[in-house]
Amino acid sequence: MRDLLRHPTGVVGASLLLVIFLAVVAGPSLAPYDPQSFHPQARLQGPSATFWLGTDQFGRDVLSRILHGARATVLFGLGATLAGVSVGALIGITAGVAGRWIDSLIMRLLDGMLAVPDLLFTLLIVTVIGSSTGNAMLAVAVAFSPGMARIARSAVLSVRTRDFVQAAIARGESRAYIIGAEVLPNTIGPVIVEASIRVSFAIMLGATLGFLGLGAQPPSTEWGLMIAEARQFMFRNPWCVAAPGLAIAIAALGFNLFGDALRDILDPRGRR
Amino acid sequence: MNDAGGNGSAEDLARAAAIAIERYSLAYSTAAGPFHALKSVSLTIPQGRTVGLVGESGSGKTSLAWAIMRYLPPNAVEGPGVIRLGGENLIEKSPAEIASIRGRRISMVFQDPSASLNPTLRIGDQISEVLMRHQKLTQKEALEEAAAALERTGIHRPRDIMRRYPHQASGGEKQRVVLATAFACGPECIIFDEPTTALDVITARQILDLFVRLRDDTGVSALYISHDLALVSRIAHEVAVIREGEIVERGRPAELFSSPKRDYTRALIAAAPRPENRLVTSRIAPAAEPLLSVRKANVRFGQPTRLQRLLGQTRAPVDALKSVAITVRPGEILGIVGESGSGKSTLARVIAGLQDFTGEIGFADRRFARRPDLDRSYRRSVQIIFQHPDASLNPRQRVKTILSRPLRLYDLARRGEIEDRVASLLSRVLLPANFSTRYPHQLSGGEKQRVAIARAFAAEPKLVVCDEITSSLDVSVQASIARLLVEIQAATRAACIFITHDLNLVRQLAHRIGVMNRGELVDMFETGDVNAADRHPYTRELMEAVAVPPWG
Repeated sequence: MRDLLRHPTGVVGASLLLVIFLAVVAGPSLAPYDPQSFHPQARLQGPSATFWLGTDQFGRDVLSRILHGARATVLFGLGATLAGVSVGALIGITAGVAGRWIDSLIMRLLDGMLAVPDLLFTLLIVTVIGSSTGNAMLAVAVAFSPGMARIARSAVLSVRTRDFVQAAIARGESRAYIIGAEVLPNTIGPVIVEASIRVSFAIMLGATLGFLGLGAQPPSTEWGLMIAEARQFMFRNPWCVAAPGLAIAIAALGFNLFGDALRDILDPRGRR
Repeated sequence: MNDAGGNGSAEDLARAAAIAIERYSLAYSTAAGPFHALKSVSLTIPQGRTVGLVGESGSGKTSLAWAIMRYLPPNAVEGPGVIRLGGENLIEKSPAEIASIRGRRISMVFQDPSASLNPTLRIGDQISEVLMRHQKLTQKEALEEAAAALERTGIHRPRDIMRRYPHQASGGEKQRVVLATAFACGPECIIFDEPTTALDVITARQILDLFVRLRDDTGVSALYISHDLALVSRIAHEVAVIREGEIVERGRPAELFSSPKRDYTRALIAAAPRPENRLVTSRIAPAAEPLLSVRKANVRFGQPTRLQRLLGQTRAPVDALKSVAITVRPGEILGIVGESGSGKSTLARVIAGLQDFTGEIGFADRRFARRPDLDRSYRRSVQIIFQHPDASLNPRQRVKTILSRPLRLYDLARRGEIEDRVASLLSRVLLPANFSTRYPHQLSGGEKQRVAIARAFAAEPKLVVCDEITSSLDVSVQASIARLLVEIQAATRAACIFITHDLNLVRQLAHRIGVMNRGELVDMFETGDVNAADRHPYTRELMEAVAVPPWG
């Protein structure tokens, strides 16, 4: 943790995340207005003392909507990543440990899935199973798992040939002990790092799905959906598109920088 | 080899200095504050002379080389002091001036030839590039000149080598190419940074002879950096010993080694293994019933898989072990020597049950014909210690977890006793008991290797396989690890297979020595008979290639 604070990228990433998580935890109580209440007299206004970030086409306060939407947006990213990482890591570790034809079979299947771009893949899944927040999350998780599986597998493979694993085999340790006590603890690092970077992609994918109308449905305050709804009024009031866009950017950047810093810190070569 | 120490230093004084370093200091700024790599170093390389720079890892010897080459990382902070090349202060030169000096007036040869050649360029292009840049030759002339330069390094068909990429050449050929490149523009000074350390014994000797010949032909001045005292004493006119960024002693090799003035130099000289200085006093009865006997062991790599055979792909498999037979008697230390790729590590892996083999392993009164037959009781009796202690200890486990594992696995201690046993294991390898709560990365290389030794002996084995356990350590640490191993071995009466490429070391501690070459055991003899007339020619070649410390 101290290392993180000494790492410039880590400090920036952590501070951005702090702001985002403040909105996630306390957003609704900090919001000055009800996110769904209309102010017909003040539609599509720019920032002012009453509406700090302006209002949208129904006169709803943009700031309040962003604060309310933080929870849906960020939890979507975290949830989708967590599901994708767990499933992916499980598959990858199985492949890496099993080796031989099981490994080849799993990896060729995953290569096929990796060939389809993430966004296209999620779109495909959502179109098939129907659009809702839950389904969008599931789709992102499925799209993430092949990449995670690859990383987990390569971590297992690189650890498996290390001498301490060889020493355990030479001692006559059981397979379960070797995998559980020698291999797995050393593969967790790269998986965690990759996961923290992936959260930002998940948030952006979620927002994209929301924007396309395939994720969260109105009147949700999910940030991607906010941009989609306000898009046609962009030229009358750019703020109702720019503000949620900026919020997405901050969240994505925060997770990305944080993950980068985490990678530098967890890398044993960089540790003195 | 020429008579390096024969010229008086009065003559050296009269020679102009090719490189003169005066009170030069260098520090690296790190997160934990500045790290002083060089502290007020003064060193002169007279024209046409070779100065040896000897020191252990972290002593600053490579930092000095980079400082002379003016190639320092961004966090380097230079103190006062000057580095002169033929009278010109290099520190004040602009990057463009330095670029024209590098390779033309001063060049460098690195430890690992495969890392210093660009893998995507043909060898000929790499040499001719230097000539075209500095001598302004046309490409045709440069290639012509490159071929001549290669020929001077003893490569028989230079045109042939020049068409190849680095990966198509052997380690010795690559280092010859690097030497040819370094000498190509006729520089005033060449810096050699451990140029033979990454090579096999016999190749290293050839490269060293080549270095001496080229040096004498061209009259170049050289700074020869090495950790190997015996080697430096053979080729340098003057030797400087560096420790923690300070030059502690300088002098002509003969004087320095026969009457060192500083304790550190003395310790360094004492640490270099000398064959006549036996560490082992016990004798093994020749007729003793063998503890381990390996018979007709074969290991073959790269055999085509069933699918590849089905598809008609055939590759020539490599025989890593060809019908190898050895025996180890109880309490014996059997040394195995050979160059890299000779199969000595494969043999270690076969005995430790890490490598599939055909043939037979006999242990005590049991016989094993396949790797899966090697059961836990065999594995408990036969332990292995690896070369790199960094890799052989799990970075996520504390020392006490690492050491208690064999005790738990083989039921050697009751639950309540484990802590005491770990403490006694640590004290046996001369480490304090409070190391048990540390992680491997908090230990030095030598300390890590001690933990690995303690782990192997925790199983109360009858045989310990030591696979190059001192090779990745510094000279002084090597000596203490070797002594420790011999002590524990004598106390526990466990037999030991000691695999190494260091012939001086193995002659210090082995009862018998086996010599391996290309997967075959070519020779096996009692250590005392190393110079006997019936030695295999390859054994003799190996012995001749190694520099034995001349002092004593």
